[in-house]
Amino acid sequence: MSSFISSLKTTVSGYATYRGREGHLSFVLHRLTGLGTLLFLIIHILDTSTVYFAPELYEEAIALYRSTPFMLGEIALVFAVIFHGINGLRIAYYDLRKPEAWSIGRQRKSVRGTLAISVLLWLPAAFVMFRSLVINNFLGG
Amino acid sequence: MSVPTRTVSPPKNIETTAWKWMRYSGVLLIPLVWIHVLIQDVVVGVHEIDLDYVLQRWSSVLWQTYDILLLGFAFAHGMNGLRQVVNDFIHDPKAQKVAAWVIFVFWLVVTAIGGIAIVAATNERLAGL
Repeated sequence: MSSFISSLKTTVSGYATYRGREGHLSFVLHRLTGLGTLLFLIIHILDTSTVYFAPELYEEAIALYRSTPFMLGEIALVFAVIFHGINGLRIAYYDLRKPEAWSIGRQRKSVRGTLAISVLLWLPAAFVMFRSLVINNFLGG
Repeated sequence: MSVPTRTVSPPKNIETTAWKWMRYSGVLLIPLVWIHVLIQDVVVGVHEIDLDYVLQRWSSVLWQTYDILLLGFAFAHGMNGLRQVVNDFIHDPKAQKVAAWVIFVFWLVVTAIGGIAIVAATNERLAGL
């Protein structure tokens, strides 16, 4: 148990203090967006399954999704899905097609490009979703 | 700028398969997930989604197939990702094996629940009409 705790400490402090700049940032963001999306996905599969297993519960689940905190979370989720997708595509491309290009200089540039594309794709989606949040939850639909 | 490289052949084991799976399924998930999110979260929106909306969608074999693919690829991708993260925190090979089995069983149960719902929800309703 103590060895588990010490390895846990090493991993967590490594996550927080490793100073690999863009590479470190993309690693941490990829994990956080992946785990966040997975957590949502588990809840989403189970609540959508109530359509068959307990239809009377589905309306309650949907009511929860329509609340302001959930809709804000949904906007964040869309960023997670966009970033995880583009960053994953970047990883898959270099791993499968261009492994010789895994150099620090090139990766720093490609991480910045990935972040820029993610934000640019997310902004219009976030705008539409935020508008829907304001109209439905604050202006009475 | 190029770096010196050497060619290695990775062993053909389950970890190599899992490594490839994450990359190929990931590329496939970009159109699958993005189209799903664009339609349901951005264009339609959660205020327009209710029981009838889901049943209507699942009365189409095309959307049932789409959702089955989404469930199969996205959730397996995510749960294998979770296994990889867990392996960063747990270093004892025995404990890693236990964790992998727990994750596998959880994946199987949740996938079965979701899959049954997608296939059965409209079939029973149609049979009842």
